Amino acid sequence: MMYYLRVWAASARYSLTRAMMFRGDLLVWSLVELFWMGVNLLTISVIYGHTDSIAGWTKYEMVLLVGTSMLIQRFLMGFFWSSLFEMGRNVRSGNFDFTLAQPGNVLFMASTRKLDLDGLMNAVIATAVVIYAVRQLGLHPGPLEIALYIFFILCGIVIHYSVLVLSISMVFWLSSAQGVEGGYFSMTEFSRLPRQAFQGIVSRTLFVYALPVVIVSNAPAATLLHGFNPTLTLWLAGSAAVWFTVAVWTFHRGLRRYSSASS
Amino acid sequence: MLRAFDKYRHSFLIGLQGNLIYRWNFAVRGFFSLFHLAVVFILWGAAFAGSDQLGGYSLNQTLTYFVTLLVLMFFISAFNEDYQISEDIRNGLINQFLLKPINYFGYRFSIFLAARLVSGSLVLIPLLVALPFLYSHLTFPAEPWRLAVGLPAMALSAMVQFSIAYSFGMLTFWFLDIQGFVILSMAVESVLGGQMFPLDLLPDWAYAIARFLPFYYQMYFPAAIFTGRISDPNLIAQGFMIQLSWVAILLIVNQALWSRGLRRHTAVGG
Repeated sequence: MMYYLRVWAASARYSLTRAMMFRGDLLVWSLVELFWMGVNLLTISVIYGHTDSIAGWTKYEMVLLVGTSMLIQRFLMGFFWSSLFEMGRNVRSGNFDFTLAQPGNVLFMASTRKLDLDGLMNAVIATAVVIYAVRQLGLHPGPLEIALYIFFILCGIVIHYSVLVLSISMVFWLSSAQGVEGGYFSMTEFSRLPRQAFQGIVSRTLFVYALPVVIVSNAPAATLLHGFNPTLTLWLAGSAAVWFTVAVWTFHRGLRRYSSASS
Repeated sequence: MLRAFDKYRHSFLIGLQGNLIYRWNFAVRGFFSLFHLAVVFILWGAAFAGSDQLGGYSLNQTLTYFVTLLVLMFFISAFNEDYQISEDIRNGLINQFLLKPINYFGYRFSIFLAARLVSGSLVLIPLLVALPFLYSHLTFPAEPWRLAVGLPAMALSAMVQFSIAYSFGMLTFWFLDIQGFVILSMAVESVLGGQMFPLDLLPDWAYAIARFLPFYYQMYFPAAIFTGRISDPNLIAQGFMIQLSWVAILLIVNQALWSRGLRRHTAVGG
């Protein structure tokens, strides 16, 4: 365990040094993340310019939900996105050999090569969005709600990570990863929607119960809005465990197909 | 003239073969876009709950707009052309174009057309699968002139899309990595291009400004013609004028970036 933490810390130091070498790049990427958050908030603002409620959620409740979703996504972007995105390319080019040759768990090594400072910086802004929404709603969460919110965010990161690993692992079966990473973004789009908006039996079964994409952001936001809910807690923690297991299993099944360059 | 055209016909055919190799990737992307459509249906369905109209349009009209946008995206939008051009410059592959009697813009545009033919055709498969569900929500105006006007607008939109992507690709002459600029621009395009919400839902002053920006003509303009969100002939004529102006401006910018960029380019080997 300590060994892996040291490896991760070494990768983080390398990424930090690299980010300082390309400061302009860091600025542009920070703006990219900031702009995308702005896009989501602007969309809410425009829609609420024409309606008062979406599935019973007011404007600032939606801001809280979207802010929570962004917070999870920014952490994922900061810690894992670049490494996993690169993995997709490396499997195709054969450069994945270098990851396989490293002394450690392959998925861990492939997931932690790089750390994106811009994603982590924007996690701070996403936190500010959440705090702003909480203040606008006049909420005063206690220590239990805050601790649960943080626990749910961690579960959310595990779930998002698992969905991303599953999407990228498709590269072992396809000739290129081009476009398949989009699977992750397609799935996470649902996390910006309130659970109550899923009215149809198919959409409710698929996106609320079968896939963890809705509950991942709704559970933490609902905890701040309505307090502790044991069902939601078990649901989210169970989803994180199950999806992580499925992602690791799929990745290793795919790995068996890898045969270096052009595989 | 015909021989010159023949070069680009061959480029188109090579592009077709190249893109057919990645047919599964396009198909997967098309499949994932159905998830995006599901998000749109759920979000707007909830926003319309309790009201017949939003911004002057019904729920079905709004959903039709988003379905049209999705089809247009696969037929005319630039997917990764900017990266391909960037790779050509970074890896020195453009050197071969400097020595051969072929125009790089023409070559790339031919490949772009082939790629969109493949991706556009492939997105129809998941859409056909989803058609039984979508059908009851689709409500296109029954006016044939919209097709006659919308198709040229769509062709010009493809030019706008490609020219913007080409310009970003050209930035590689000055910057090592253009990915940040491209995704930054995508964020702006997604809002001002009408991908997040129909632009006519913006406040009047913001919509008036958006009409003069190139993003409006990337997809919103033809989509609005096809779905009946623009009907006034004067507005359509004005739109065409602005769209044509943007095509001309972007082509000039493309050419300027190419010739200025080449001055900075150093060819090694080849």
